[in-house]
Amino acid sequence: MPRIDLPDVDALERGVAVLGSGGGGDSRTAATLLRRRLADGLDVAVRPLTSLPPDARVVPVGVVGATAVFAEKLPGGHEVAAAVEAIQRWTGERADALVSIEIGGLNGVLPLVAACDLELGAVDADLSGRGLPRLDQLSLAAAGRPLTPAALAEPSGQVIVQGTGAPADLERTARTFLPAAGGWAALALAPVPARELAASCVTGSVSGAVRLGRRILALGESPDPERLAAATGGRVLSVGRVVEVTRRPGPEVHGRPGFARGSVTLAGHRSGELLRVEMENEYLLALRDGLVVASTPDVIAVLDRRTGVPIAGDTVRVGMEVMVLQVAISPFWTDPRRIAVLAPRAYGLDSDPVLLERGDRPEVPG
Amino acid sequence: MTSVRRLLALPEWSGRVRVLAGAAGLDAPVRAVRPIADPGAAEAVAADELIIVTAPPQPADWRLDALLRRVVDAGGAGILVPCATRPATARTAGGGSQAGPGTSAGGRASEPAEVSRATLLLAERLGLPLLGAFSGDPLDLVVAARLLLAEPEIDRARLVLAAHRAFDNRTHTPEDVVRRLEDLLRVPVALLDDRGQPLAGEIAEPGQVRVDEFVPQRVELADGVLLAHPALLPHPARPTLWLVAELRGTAAARAEIVPPALAVAAAAVQRWLLAHRLELERDARARTALLGDLLRVDAEPSAQLRRRVADAGWQLGGWHVGLRIGAVPTLDLVPYTAEISRVLRAEGVEAVVVEHGEGWTGWTTFAQEPTPARVRALAARLRAAHRKLRGSIADHMGVGRPHPWPEGLAGTVAEATDAARLAATRPEAGYFLQVDQLGMAQLLLEWTRTDTFEPAARALLAPLRDQPGDLIRTLSAYLDAESSIAETAAVLGVHRNTVTARIDRVERLLGVDLGHRDERLALHLACRTVTLPGR
Repeated sequence: MPRIDLPDVDALERGVAVLGSGGGGDSRTAATLLRRRLADGLDVAVRPLTSLPPDARVVPVGVVGATAVFAEKLPGGHEVAAAVEAIQRWTGERADALVSIEIGGLNGVLPLVAACDLELGAVDADLSGRGLPRLDQLSLAAAGRPLTPAALAEPSGQVIVQGTGAPADLERTARTFLPAAGGWAALALAPVPARELAASCVTGSVSGAVRLGRRILALGESPDPERLAAATGGRVLSVGRVVEVTRRPGPEVHGRPGFARGSVTLAGHRSGELLRVEMENEYLLALRDGLVVASTPDVIAVLDRRTGVPIAGDTVRVGMEVMVLQVAISPFWTDPRRIAVLAPRAYGLDSDPVLLERGDRPEVPG
Repeated sequence: MTSVRRLLALPEWSGRVRVLAGAAGLDAPVRAVRPIADPGAAEAVAADELIIVTAPPQPADWRLDALLRRVVDAGGAGILVPCATRPATARTAGGGSQAGPGTSAGGRASEPAEVSRATLLLAERLGLPLLGAFSGDPLDLVVAARLLLAEPEIDRARLVLAAHRAFDNRTHTPEDVVRRLEDLLRVPVALLDDRGQPLAGEIAEPGQVRVDEFVPQRVELADGVLLAHPALLPHPARPTLWLVAELRGTAAARAEIVPPALAVAAAAVQRWLLAHRLELERDARARTALLGDLLRVDAEPSAQLRRRVADAGWQLGGWHVGLRIGAVPTLDLVPYTAEISRVLRAEGVEAVVVEHGEGWTGWTTFAQEPTPARVRALAARLRAAHRKLRGSIADHMGVGRPHPWPEGLAGTVAEATDAARLAATRPEAGYFLQVDQLGMAQLLLEWTRTDTFEPAARALLAPLRDQPGDLIRTLSAYLDAESSIAETAAVLGVHRNTVTARIDRVERLLGVDLGHRDERLALHLACRTVTLPGR
């Protein structure tokens, strides 16, 4: 997939929303920005990692913070550029291409807009393979690489660079900075040589998200659950009506309130079975009648029964008619060395991972 | 069996514990109560267990859902969670992510903050009682529940102790045991004999006990249960008594706690049986020895013997008619002596009966020499008594002629013994013979059945054995028919020429002349001895 065309944007928007697993932020604003650029005749090239020269410098970019605020406090368009500029200055290296830190949600689309603006290519890969809540969970960190130096730029002009520090330190810095930044900020990490990135990212994720979105869109309105499962290579856990949504504060982290937690429970239409989905920023764990049937790192998406549009964890409401879809995660995360980073216990949920069988897993997108 | 509903009625529970959901399972049995620290504890759950979570769970904890499922899958009875807070105000569903502690979506005033609606729905769906404790320490609830669960054990222990006090080391009569057990259990109690007939006490359906199975029994009745415990003697297995308690209506609920107390009472009955048996046995031995001494007397008995006879309560003056009763094989005699006396008495015969050898020897006494009519009347009564005893106790009976004391007793007993021996082979006489009916000839014949005559008779007839033509039977019939060929042929159902040929062969084989009266008599006796039934 060398370039994204206008019709691809709808598929991309749907695909990244599903991969957000209920989090990742609203991809609509970013998709609008992307459509606008494509309509203006600009090119967005998405190149396979292997097509880059081994020494090409790839800069991971994305947006961190309360992504809901992103739709209210709109970007000025300069934030990603400022962060990339800052990291180039700090490292003294020029960026040859951009890669998304997170394919799920907003960050699945926005880096393409930035690549367009900066006239750089985008790489068909990301650092998450889904929606993730914390920077220290990025694939670079999971593969043992440092995330620093890293630059954060917020809409009103503040830019900070963290020169050194462990991935957890960067996460803490970002969380400290965000309230002062007004909710969100653009992030750019130090450039990574293309040959080193290959082993520490999830490849093919942009083209994979487009394919996933295209297949779901092809099902039309009120998609049949079995065809949805077949099209996504996943599993429909339940189709039903939301009967309860609870929200509660999570445990404190470093003296600040942690991510809010909650659960969504739907009563299935088929046999009245109760499907309870535990969430933090994303949907993390699904229990059918008290039995854990699906968990992170697999993607758990709650889709509108009629439109098939994914419903984020912060917008799901009692009374909605929904279906819950489990989609297999990239094999990058099922590797025993890395699965603990995204397993339920990484979120304080005392359960072993319950994933789709290996055979159900789609091929690594190329 | 305790149920969740029963636990809820405990004073320590009522008012504090409410059913949050899953009321459908309230009547499931509870066998144990297990406290766990939090819903995520990895402890295994057993069937019929009620899980009591001792610390309030996190609000809307999904692990409570998982625990519900685990308990249902293990066949558990329910879950209780402490609910420290009641929601003060109702909130709308889906509050902000910064909602304060203790809020749950749609916080209905009737539902505790700790348990989400999803959890309640799941408990309802699974039919598993989910209980909320709204005040008090959950551990107090555990203790109260465990005391209730242990109650049957405590009750049982109390009852057994009381039974041990009631049935102390003293020997209690059956009536006493039944009365004391009734006082203890406050239900009808009866002691049944080995045929299920009440000996003491009374119950409505004694026939329900399976008296041939010597094990503690529990018989379900329409509105209760019958508990039976056997009182056995070590050997032989019979006689067996059954101690039976009848639990009807509400008393049936105590069916689990009564059996051990019943066993204690049955042991008291057994003790009585043993003591009684010991007495009978000692008595029987004394009487058997006395009888032996008496039968050996050939002159005037000594003063000492007369004294022992008087002590035994035996009347020795007057005319005696001897009795001999052969017992059915392998019978334990002693316990049945009383029964024989009872049957004889029922027929109007007062007799001394003593265990003697493989049966009983006895006599009945007339003040004056009895007339033949009185002797016949006595014989008729004895025959009637024998019919009652025959099969279960007695096998055959012989009766002697009246003889006067002192010499007469041994004589009439000897006659009765001979008659009894003959009666054993006389089904047509009902295994009952009286010497008067026998005639002296038959008694004479009986005397040929001695250990010396019998081998001689067999030797005499030995050449006829293993010969074709049933020669011994032919000879016997021929002699019985007073040497008439025609009658012999008719008796045997063969042609007269056959008889003639056989008799010729007999004479040849034995080398005898059947025309000679001595040889004919010897052969007739020999034939009778070896062809008598029962030999």
